[in-house]
Amino acid sequence: MPHEVIMPALGMAQDTGRIVSWLKQPGEAVASGDALFEVETDKATMEVEAAHDGYLTDVRAGAGEDVPVGNAVAMISDTPEDSGMTGNNAGAGADATNDPPDDAALPEGREVIMPALGMSQDSGTIVAWLVEAGAQVAADDPLFEVETDKSTVEVPAGHAGHVAALLAEAGEEVAVGAAVAVISAEKPAAPVQRKARAAPAETAPAKPARPAPSSVPKDGPAPVAPTAGGRILASPKARRLAAEQGLDLARLAEAGHPQPYHVKDLEVLRGMGQTRAATPGTDDFPMQITARVPATPGAEFHAWISAEGATAPPVPVLWAAFACGALRRARDAGNASLTVALTGVASPARKLADPDLHRLTQQVEAEETTGPALILRDFSDSAITGMRLSTPSAPAVTMGREGDDLIVTLDFTAAQIDEDQALAFITDFTARLSDPLRHLL
Amino acid sequence: MREITLSKAVNEAIAEEMRRDPTTFLIGEDVAEAGTPFKVLSGLVEEFGTERVIDTPIAEPGFMGIAVGAALTGSRPIVDLMFGDFIFLIMDQLCNQAAKACYMSGGKLNVPLVLRTNLGATRRSAAQHSQSLHALVAHIPGLKVALPSSAYEAKGLMKTAIRDNNPVVIFEDKLMYQEKALVPEEEFLIPFGEANVKREGTDITLIGTSSMVQVAEAAAEQLASEGISAEVIDPRTIVPLDEATLLESVRKTSRAIVIDEGHQSFGTTAEIASRLNEKAFYHLDAPVLRMGAMDVPVPFSPALEDITVPTAEGVADNARKLCAGEMIHAA
Repeated sequence: MPHEVIMPALGMAQDTGRIVSWLKQPGEAVASGDALFEVETDKATMEVEAAHDGYLTDVRAGAGEDVPVGNAVAMISDTPEDSGMTGNNAGAGADATNDPPDDAALPEGREVIMPALGMSQDSGTIVAWLVEAGAQVAADDPLFEVETDKSTVEVPAGHAGHVAALLAEAGEEVAVGAAVAVISAEKPAAPVQRKARAAPAETAPAKPARPAPSSVPKDGPAPVAPTAGGRILASPKARRLAAEQGLDLARLAEAGHPQPYHVKDLEVLRGMGQTRAATPGTDDFPMQITARVPATPGAEFHAWISAEGATAPPVPVLWAAFACGALRRARDAGNASLTVALTGVASPARKLADPDLHRLTQQVEAEETTGPALILRDFSDSAITGMRLSTPSAPAVTMGREGDDLIVTLDFTAAQIDEDQALAFITDFTARLSDPLRHLL
Repeated sequence: MREITLSKAVNEAIAEEMRRDPTTFLIGEDVAEAGTPFKVLSGLVEEFGTERVIDTPIAEPGFMGIAVGAALTGSRPIVDLMFGDFIFLIMDQLCNQAAKACYMSGGKLNVPLVLRTNLGATRRSAAQHSQSLHALVAHIPGLKVALPSSAYEAKGLMKTAIRDNNPVVIFEDKLMYQEKALVPEEEFLIPFGEANVKREGTDITLIGTSSMVQVAEAAAEQLASEGISAEVIDPRTIVPLDEATLLESVRKTSRAIVIDEGHQSFGTTAEIASRLNEKAFYHLDAPVLRMGAMDVPVPFSPALEDITVPTAEGVADNARKLCAGEMIHAA
């Protein structure tokens, strides 16, 4: 569909512009952004660019002609032929009937456009309408107020007549050159009043949510987290050193040491000793391995023992025996007695004296005072599949259930067993769970 | 090595460069036959004549404009501005013309011009002849700013400035013209952007410019007797600024005070402190302090004037507080 090319308002006090020369010939293809013609105002000569792609047609003002601001000087059409869609000559207002079909409902009359009040202005915001739809106006009556990045100014009607349509509401931002009102010669039967059409180009895409700025600065590790009691005041260097050395400034605060903290206060913190927070690479840093095995082989094995007539131990005791055997091999522990502490949701807490060295059907309780070599927590009857609570006193195996699978979690520290032993243990243990006959061999 | 005054050092630097390069000339008020400001330029007109040592009317914008034009067309002018306060008169020539020509011509034009002027209060010269306005110049891209702290720096920096192909503004402290320092007899230049560590220390870094280097050194001396080890650094040029040396020192000491005779607000001290905060944040055990001149027009009353500028006692007092951990404004 054809688009009008209008004489832009390039200055605040500009009524007309003189076309110095056309830079495109009638019928020539133009792209949006191409310079179409040069216009001279009281201040400067500048190029006017095409706002649409198409062909320059219907050129109705030649070089040297003065054209009132806002009047059409040509069309940009889909074909090189004149559209013939205009009866207006230079000096006449642009005709609303030239607009696209969705403007068909608009009353006949002359369009009032959003003027370009600054050199770099793309759009203007209508601050307020100064007339009512349907009102009678003279050509120099102020029609509306427009706000640009620089100032707020009144825009006159430009044509005498009646306000037949207001095409944007106060507060709306309208692209320069877009029609904001129609002035008709006759009093309109039903004046139109509506919001500006949301032109696709004006609809800014929703801004993607910005990722939260990283709290880890490049120059050093993150400062320690503030305590529940509020922010700890400490110098940047004291915070950095505390984080690097695994010192928790909150402990100084809890001990009532006066803030703010500086590097020298870290000495006090070091003196507080022992319960410092674990850091990776230290002996007491908690580590964890998780594995998944099918539950069926174990269940079948338990059923088989029971079918043989023997007094089968509870399933957790079976697991304790498997785990104890796996731990013996992983630690290369020979015949040393390994106590297993057994806890769980369904069974009372027990301490078994080496369930691996004893027969499966004859479990022996260990002495109450014996420290366990392994802790086995049975949560296979609960929704819990794994846990890491306070670091346990021995390697801890947690048995959880997920459908037909057992989830086996080993929590340990380097002070208890090393990483290789832990991996060997979990591999051996899960192999026994998957194929319990291995345990008997 | 001999000891000479800062005045003599500047005189030598200009004379040596004028002998070396016949396109170099000196222009300003009273630089030739009318006697010379602070007697710095004595003897130059006798050696080089009135064609190369040019007395001007009292018209700073005029002779500065002449010098910019001369620099653009192949000469190497040294402009003598009698007081740093007069820089307001030549701001357009300096900031809009000289500073921009190289940039706006894509490097085709150079402005090898030195503006030689001064700073410093406590000379009882009142508000319009006592300002230290180097921060105004340092704010403008395209201008280099040198702040000699002794006769040695005054000579070495001046020679480098004269050989620079674009504008350099040198601010000498007008109270230091008669102060002596060791200056080699053989030729030497001090490159721009190289700070000078005047004294090594481990507890706090005192960064001083121009005459404030002496203030910092005196403070460091007081602190040493109390067991506080202060490092003293003279940046020598603030544009370009030797950030690396300053950062290295602050990373070591984790505390710093920046001392400069310009007004404290929006000044040189603020710029340097801000860079240390930005680039050495996790090495700071205390906020970086600024110590500039009080934000008032310099008083004429000697008693009042003396308290507007940083002193060694004030610097030492702040350094003690920083080292004792008293200066974090915890609220």
